Amino acid sequence: MPLGRLLLRTSAVNKKVSRNFFIASKPDPSKPNMLRVGLAFGSTAVLWALLFKQHSTDVHEYKTQNGLE
Amino acid sequence: MGLLPDEAKVLPPPGIVNRNSVWFGLCGWATAMLHNSLNRRPALKAGVHRQALFITVGWFIGYHLTKFENYKYATLDRDMSEYIRLHPEEFPEKALKTFAEIVEPFHPIR
Repeated sequence: MPLGRLLLRTSAVNKKVSRNFFIASKPDPSKPNMLRVGLAFGSTAVLWALLFKQHSTDVHEYKTQNGLE
Repeated sequence: MGLLPDEAKVLPPPGIVNRNSVWFGLCGWATAMLHNSLNRRPALKAGVHRQALFITVGWFIGYHLTKFENYKYATLDRDMSEYIRLHPEEFPEKALKTFAEIVEPFHPIR
């Protein structure tokens, strides 16, 4: 019974899956959600920076481990 | 090396451009393009931020997967070499034969 009460809350938390008829709208490509676009490009840049840093760390560790430095 | 033990540091790290990275990056790009086409948007020109993010995520996963793969293959090779070193009786040196001994005599019929 408590699980049933919990499941009744799903309509309040997943507004993306089930859209309210009164406030839903078609996604408009001419008005991009700049926050989401900014976050996407930002996380892209962060991931590339992480990758390059990890690679340079790995190369440095390999050289010091094998005494090539 | 996040999930790898310290002994993996003696292995040469893969380059930024490596097989798994390219493949996973392409898979991410295909996923983004599929997402576009399933939402009836132009496949290549729409959602460039999404394509870039998916390619990057794929590339990142591919790099770490290549490191993990190198480590796994290196441990397998090490175990195999150690076994061969400890059991030489199971790996006898075969007497090499020249082709002259194996090949049948040639009788031309012209």
